[in-house]
Amino acid sequence: MLAAMAAITLGGCASPSLSIRSLPPETPEADVGAAAENAATLAAAIQSEDSGGHAPAAAGPPLTAAEAPSMRTYDPWERLNRFTYRFNARFDEAIFLPVANGYRRLPSPLRAGVHNFFGNLTEVDSIINYVLQVRLQAGVRSLGRFLINSTFGIGGLIDVAAKLKLPDAPTGFSATLSTWGMHPGPYLVIPLIGPSTLRDGIGLAGDFGAAYAVNVVNLYRGNKTWYLGVVNGVDERANVDFRYYATGSPFEYETIRFLYVRKRLIEDEGLRRKSRPKKAGTGAPAGE
Amino acid sequence: MSAGAEPPANPEPALTTVGPATGLADSAGLRATVFGTPPADMAPLPKTVPLTEIDISLPWAMPVPAVFWFDRRLRVWFSAQDKPAPLAIVIAGTGSDGNSAKLATLRAALYGAGYHVLTLPSPTFPGFIVSASSTGVVGDLRQDSLDLYAAMQQIIAHLPRRVRITDIDVLGYSLGGANAAMVKSIDATQGKLKIHRAVMINPPVSLFTSIARLDRLFAISIGPGDAAIEALYRKLYAELANLYRASDTLQVDENFLFSAAGAVLKTDTEFSEAIALTFRLDLINVFFAGDLYARTGVVVDPNHPPKVGDSLEDTARILRSKPFSEYFSRVFVPYYLKHRANSTGKSLIADSRLEIIGDVLRTNPDYYVQTNSDDLILDKPELAWLEDTFGTRIVVYDHGGHLGNLGDRSQIADMLDMLAGRWKGHAP
Repeated sequence: MLAAMAAITLGGCASPSLSIRSLPPETPEADVGAAAENAATLAAAIQSEDSGGHAPAAAGPPLTAAEAPSMRTYDPWERLNRFTYRFNARFDEAIFLPVANGYRRLPSPLRAGVHNFFGNLTEVDSIINYVLQVRLQAGVRSLGRFLINSTFGIGGLIDVAAKLKLPDAPTGFSATLSTWGMHPGPYLVIPLIGPSTLRDGIGLAGDFGAAYAVNVVNLYRGNKTWYLGVVNGVDERANVDFRYYATGSPFEYETIRFLYVRKRLIEDEGLRRKSRPKKAGTGAPAGE
Repeated sequence: MSAGAEPPANPEPALTTVGPATGLADSAGLRATVFGTPPADMAPLPKTVPLTEIDISLPWAMPVPAVFWFDRRLRVWFSAQDKPAPLAIVIAGTGSDGNSAKLATLRAALYGAGYHVLTLPSPTFPGFIVSASSTGVVGDLRQDSLDLYAAMQQIIAHLPRRVRITDIDVLGYSLGGANAAMVKSIDATQGKLKIHRAVMINPPVSLFTSIARLDRLFAISIGPGDAAIEALYRKLYAELANLYRASDTLQVDENFLFSAAGAVLKTDTEFSEAIALTFRLDLINVFFAGDLYARTGVVVDPNHPPKVGDSLEDTARILRSKPFSEYFSRVFVPYYLKHRANSTGKSLIADSRLEIIGDVLRTNPDYYVQTNSDDLILDKPELAWLEDTFGTRIVVYDHGGHLGNLGDRSQIADMLDMLAGRWKGHAP
């Protein structure tokens, strides 16, 4: 694995003088329509009350500017992270993205089915973690979604629950660890997956472990697990609108690190039940 | 790293501007600049637009610095009609790549109107600087446009054979508008592409004056130095965190940020901060690349350039607190004084004005302008110059700020009329 990584990272730069790639067609009319819809619903949503996204009525007074984390990010493994980031960029460009773009040409009902199927399986993980976060109402909702979609939704292919006003609200082990006060810790770029933190990495391992342990309809043991994992990965990638080095900028690693960790820290603000990390606002690098 | 070295005792004039730092923009103009065209006002766009991505290496490119390993080839985007059709080449604005949201809007409208569409990055986009610039030190209107023009020829020569082109027009927004006009005027002499019409959308009249104004906007709204940027960041972070806590949004994602922007950005000062910061961050790459290529040593030690894997956080921190005028005086001017005979700081500023092709713009009926009476990159004399120069070939909308009406019904309809030669002047 490491040898292959090194080969791709170091040697993958031979490029022909011309390449022409056909991309999935754009859909401007639908995009403008969606933007109009989003603008309307989100303006309303930001005012509305909590419906299970994160812990309601997060404790404490509003955050002040002085309490905001440093602009610097805790990244003690920077050398390795940068290496992994480059590997991920090359892997994405050579393999992952072309496959995901091919997948995006499939009929959208088919893709929606695949996406819903995997989304439904993660409800199991959400149920476990909502219980661990002592958010039983949200846990019951995930359970309800799982039961409804597994039956009326034909094994999860159709998100019937969302149409019944039970929208998707996944959670996982990283959120549980955050709820109980664990900091993001060092920035971590995970091979094939991308930007993360130590806590998110542990959380991810926990999510995989839970899936393996529960082993819904025996999907998570044996050879088919690999095929499913690949399809799941391609589906996830096809739904993420990110292109490595689309910025063209040599500061992209810094930019992504900054944005990713701030995003996670703000999400933590919504999850945390007790106090904020003591170090916030003291100038220590964010995430420590 | 040789950061912090004293500016050379440079006799060249500083970039100065008069009038408000927001140019012609009022509050509504600033708001439109930040939020863009409301979806409800957008022109009708086609259901689907085919798209290909073309990566091409250009023979005149300079050696690729290690930290730019991913920018070896120029990346452009192309949408082909099935039948013979005119080609519209669209050039992005300052710092943007060849597939920006604004380019995607123009592409959709042009494709829907029957054009093949080729979208190109701005010459100030780092990917262009590395793969297509013959200097690495961008900002000279003519030189950058010469590089663009050469790149266009290479790209068109390599388009698939089935693509049949009947005519070629160029367009651009913001700085790309100035580039588009310049490219057409270069083509008039060189004749390699036979470009028919050029449409400039919200172009600057003087590149460095517009930039100096945005520098001033930054100093006024955000303040000088890294401490001011840190303070702005802390304020924004706290506001976003509190909004997030109050909302039922699951993730801090694009949708959340989109709705949060409406709550966080409300006052003229906040609009100004957002505009000035966006612009500053766009130009960090220009400064960095220029300093690296010109070996001027402002933030990059020319004898020990950064290697792949080196942290660039400190460099980015230094650069983001530097005004663009410092790029001009410490990188751009020294480079061009060395490489262009008889040039002075003053002549270089003059060379960045559209007036260098003023005669052509005034007399040739195939150049058009769309701009707004509240565009922040223009001041009154500059808008007056545009109106006087283009006569009936300019349309000045009342509202839109800088590019805040790009894609709306009248902007698109007028643009298509101009490109097709149907434009009869603006009905008041």
